[in-house]
Amino acid sequence: MSAGYHMEDEVQQQRYDATLMSRLLRYVRPYRYGLAAAIILLFVVSVVSNTIPLLNMRAVDGYINNPERVAVEAELETSGEAAPALVEQIDRLREGDLTGLHRLIFMLGALMATQAVIRYLQTIIVSYIGERTMLVMRMEIFAHLQRMSLRFLDKNPIGRMMTRVTTDVERIQQTIVSGMVQVANDLFSIVVIVTIMLSVNWALALITLSTVPFVFVTSYIFRLYARRAYLEIRKLIASVNAYMQECVSGIRIVQIFGQEQRAFREFDRRNAAHRDEWLRQVRNYAIYFPTVDFLGTFTMALTVLYIGYQLLGAQMWAQTGATVGGLFAYLQWGERLFQPIRALADRYNMLLEAMASSERIFSLLDTPPEIESPPEAVPCTSLRGEIEFRNVWFAYEGEQWVLKDVSFTIAPGERIAVVGHTGAGKSTLINLLSRFYDAQRGEILVDGVNVRDYDLESLRRQIGIVLQDVFLFSGSIERNIRLGNEALSDEHVRACASYVNAARFIERLPGGYAYDVGERGCNLSTGQRQLLAFARVLAHEPSILVLDEATSNVDTETEALIQDAIAKLMRDRTSIVIAHRLSTVQHADRIMVMHHGEIRESGTHQELLRKGGLYYTLYQLQYKDQDVSESNESDAAGFEVSGDVLP
Amino acid sequence: MKQDLVGRPFRALIHYNLPYKWRYLGGAALALAFTSVELGVPLVIRRVVGLFETDRMTPLLLWLLVGGLLLIAVAAGVSRYCQRMLMIGASRRFEYDLRNALFAHVLTLAQDYFHRTKTGDIMARATNDLNYVRSFIGPGVMGSVDLVRVPFTLAVMLYLGSTLTLYGLAPLPVLSLVVYAFVMYMHRQSKRVQDQFSVVSSRAQENLAGARVVKAYGVSDREYRDFEKESRNYMRESLKLAYAQALVWPLIELMLSLVILTVTWKGGSMVIRGAMVTRPVWTEAGVTFAQTPFSLADFSGFLICLVMLAFPLTQFGWVLTLYQRGAVGMTRILEVLGESPSIADGPETRHDITTVRGAVRFDRVSFRYGDADILRDVSFDIAAGETVALVGPTGSGKSSVVSLLTREYDPTAGAVLIDGVDARRIPLRVLRGAIGYVPQDTFLFSDTIRENVAFGVPDADEARILQACEIAQLTDTIAELPDGLDTLLGERGVNLSGGQKQRLAIARALVRDPAILILDDALSSVDTRTEERILERLRAFMAERTSILISHRVSTVRHADQILVVDEGRVVEHGRHDELIARGGLYEAMHRRQLLEDRLEEE
Repeated sequence: MSAGYHMEDEVQQQRYDATLMSRLLRYVRPYRYGLAAAIILLFVVSVVSNTIPLLNMRAVDGYINNPERVAVEAELETSGEAAPALVEQIDRLREGDLTGLHRLIFMLGALMATQAVIRYLQTIIVSYIGERTMLVMRMEIFAHLQRMSLRFLDKNPIGRMMTRVTTDVERIQQTIVSGMVQVANDLFSIVVIVTIMLSVNWALALITLSTVPFVFVTSYIFRLYARRAYLEIRKLIASVNAYMQECVSGIRIVQIFGQEQRAFREFDRRNAAHRDEWLRQVRNYAIYFPTVDFLGTFTMALTVLYIGYQLLGAQMWAQTGATVGGLFAYLQWGERLFQPIRALADRYNMLLEAMASSERIFSLLDTPPEIESPPEAVPCTSLRGEIEFRNVWFAYEGEQWVLKDVSFTIAPGERIAVVGHTGAGKSTLINLLSRFYDAQRGEILVDGVNVRDYDLESLRRQIGIVLQDVFLFSGSIERNIRLGNEALSDEHVRACASYVNAARFIERLPGGYAYDVGERGCNLSTGQRQLLAFARVLAHEPSILVLDEATSNVDTETEALIQDAIAKLMRDRTSIVIAHRLSTVQHADRIMVMHHGEIRESGTHQELLRKGGLYYTLYQLQYKDQDVSESNESDAAGFEVSGDVLP
Repeated sequence: MKQDLVGRPFRALIHYNLPYKWRYLGGAALALAFTSVELGVPLVIRRVVGLFETDRMTPLLLWLLVGGLLLIAVAAGVSRYCQRMLMIGASRRFEYDLRNALFAHVLTLAQDYFHRTKTGDIMARATNDLNYVRSFIGPGVMGSVDLVRVPFTLAVMLYLGSTLTLYGLAPLPVLSLVVYAFVMYMHRQSKRVQDQFSVVSSRAQENLAGARVVKAYGVSDREYRDFEKESRNYMRESLKLAYAQALVWPLIELMLSLVILTVTWKGGSMVIRGAMVTRPVWTEAGVTFAQTPFSLADFSGFLICLVMLAFPLTQFGWVLTLYQRGAVGMTRILEVLGESPSIADGPETRHDITTVRGAVRFDRVSFRYGDADILRDVSFDIAAGETVALVGPTGSGKSSVVSLLTREYDPTAGAVLIDGVDARRIPLRVLRGAIGYVPQDTFLFSDTIRENVAFGVPDADEARILQACEIAQLTDTIAELPDGLDTLLGERGVNLSGGQKQRLAIARALVRDPAILILDDALSSVDTRTEERILERLRAFMAERTSILISHRVSTVRHADQILVVDEGRVVEHGRHDELIARGGLYEAMHRRQLLEDRLEEE
């Protein structure tokens, strides 16, 4: 969540979009009854909570300040002496008032409890719906990402896609669901309060309402300024953080070039701009809050004045509709009325933010996957393992052909080593066979069927791939071998590990198969990760094995284990290995030499050596020293024969 | 100074806020003023009600009292405004200071720190933690200052009715405790939600990063199920939090209502019964205590006081959590600030050294990093102005030689001597100022090309920049760009190819006109022909200064005055190109490969 420093994500959508909104509302549709219930509850709570001041008023005016009793008390006071009849009358009246007050207090208590319960229920319903909607949306995005092609995934930074799955979804949930309900709540409150106020005493109601336009205008103006400052702040803090992130990432350059002071000055400039914008925003708030408070007191003053004049005009405390209780009730209602009016201005801004997020999400969901199973896909349960490339042309980008008219056939069970220089197109063969990409021209057949006609997942399951850079998932060794396939028995997993020589190191790890490999498998050595990948591929029993041998240096002992394991993996299985080891080349039934996107030579090790062509040169370059010893010398010249999968 | 603040967040907060002490004190004084003024409100209302009760109200009095009410409101508003400007303003200034301090400190830290600390971790402290700290200092301090109104309001309430005060206040401490308990629970639960959120994020992250494996094994269904499981857990934890939150507000509201209800009940009964209360009465003789009836006016004033009191008390629980998080945030920031730079000028530094000629000598240098011996007993001598090439397998220690020269690290044993002086005694600025460095991994800033080229020499003029670009064979590339030298790089601008970036990095080093030029495998992404041309131009440039070339290509290094072949942390061969070829060792093998390689290219 904290990685959102990209400017791109800071761009704000500034308008309300009805189509987006209706599309968003579709996610809430399944919960419409729950939502309706929540809104009804809201209405009830609104009525209940605003009735409370009414009862308070009754308590004061009817009992605490019961005009009848007050009148008798006054009479008693003026008479000066204790008239037994009056005292008795007062006692009786007091008794009655006390009982009445107690009754009202109980009613009030009950109402308050009801209000609390309903409010709780209502919030729970809304939270539930919000979270459910979010889950659905998040899973939909995730599922969509699963279907996107590698081309798409390589082009879009992971961080950006992560934002869609996490922050953007979160933001929508906060605003669409709770936002909608809050708006309903605000509107209800306003309507209910105004209705009650008008019905109790329209004159007082009008007095209270007279300041409402001012509150609204003040809030509106404030929001305008605050929002402008807020957007500016967001931009500025993004620039502060982006700069810091950049300097930390490039700290070597900053330090070696001795530009710390300069970097600091630039940072200080951005930081100060951010601070100054905040100070402006602080001023906005510092003006707004007291202004609204003042308007509140102003309303109070008007109410006091009005009630005062009523009382003065009547000259009798007891003979007027204006009462002390009324004063309190109106003060409370006034307060309650201001709150939703202030809030409503806020909601709109949140809505706009959600709009921006939803637009980004939908544009992702609307990007169609480039590679998919055809409608009538051929399921792929097991393969004989015959592979044919027929006049295949392929380019990652435009017209830069990586494969040029490549044709070859691999018989079932044949072991093929592909050799060639970096960028010759070796890895591309793998990418096309597994349909990570589709060829622009020509076709690729597996067991005589075009790869495009197979069910994608089942085809890929039959092709076991081991890449140079072994990707390990966080979690246990076992999880990394199984890759979630619970159908594999423990014995099978262990047998596979032991067959490819991985069992020995695994069993030495603390916890054995339960050992947590950590993020990206940092705590395993390159050799160990290779062996683990072998176990993984073997456990899934693919019909075809595709292996991109790693070039990295491993210790001699592990190297021997790896070579042995590779030989075992290739046994009795159609295998295509991008070979960097002499032993692998020698184990192959046939070697295909790729050069500049074409297959130049093909044959066994001996045949090709005798031919003295391209392979001979390559052999001298890459494998010859391995003949003598498996020393590091092969890499001494630093030839990184890395099979970059992408150009 | 910074060191003794580590682990003491509170002291650190005070330390960094000390410059603004007058603002805080002013804010506190205003809060006090605000409170005392505001206390006028219940008293005025009480007066109004009282005057009516006893039929002594006149229009003039009414206007006076209402006018008083408005005056109070204006005064309160003004003091509130000033208080906000002072205190929240100070907190923003403090935030700025702390962020600057953090960044300035990070800039001084040596490579070993960055090696063990992820950028994301540093950023998390500079963003989230800093935010928590700021939230405590701003709203938190303001909230606590509001507590000053408590004793004042309390005094007025006690005056109005002492027993009633006890009734009314009884639930308030409970309320504060409940709020605190809830907030603590929510704090814990938020942590759980946050943790689960990271699980969800890292699952998604991992899934995307491992997309190739996921697709290859056709396990996206399982990935989906896994992700769904974690997402559901996240939903569950979030809901728990939401349910707790859902309970808090109704509960607080209920308890506040309870308080008001109690007071209405007890106070109302007192009014009805005409109960007497003891309170001070001001007479000409002075203050005496007397029994007076608890009137409707007292009751009204009391209720308003109660409402004024409830707010800061409920807020107190919230302030406590702000402090909690702020303290944790500050502690985490202090961890960075407390990190002392392992490489910096010290008492040994010879400040009289202001320039470097460029003679380099490694005297029996060994370098260990972690458990690994990177360099073992390496010695060599480079005269000022010489060109030296370092070759050897990946991981043999070539780049480490450079890192010791630039003092990103210091040797474990032996010494690196520059112009005969131990590099550790040369002021860091002088040492690094004399070096033009082109790294293996090109790092450019998302700024204009001009700014990037002139990175090491901020005041470089156009001619100097263009000259450097010319040598680095960048002129044509720049001419093709829309804004020439002022073209923005990075996400918001153009993306250069690997080769173009490397050439830019070369230009950046050349602009500095360094005494020592270091090219760490700096031409790897450039094609052979361009490399040839760049080297051609560079040769004239390198002739006058010490140059160190690290390369895989023989063509790059063959003209060097001396070639050092490094293997497994040792210098195994040493000499000129012809000598090394004649010797038939590692270098010769490398050369042979190079020829084969070239032949392959030509096919």
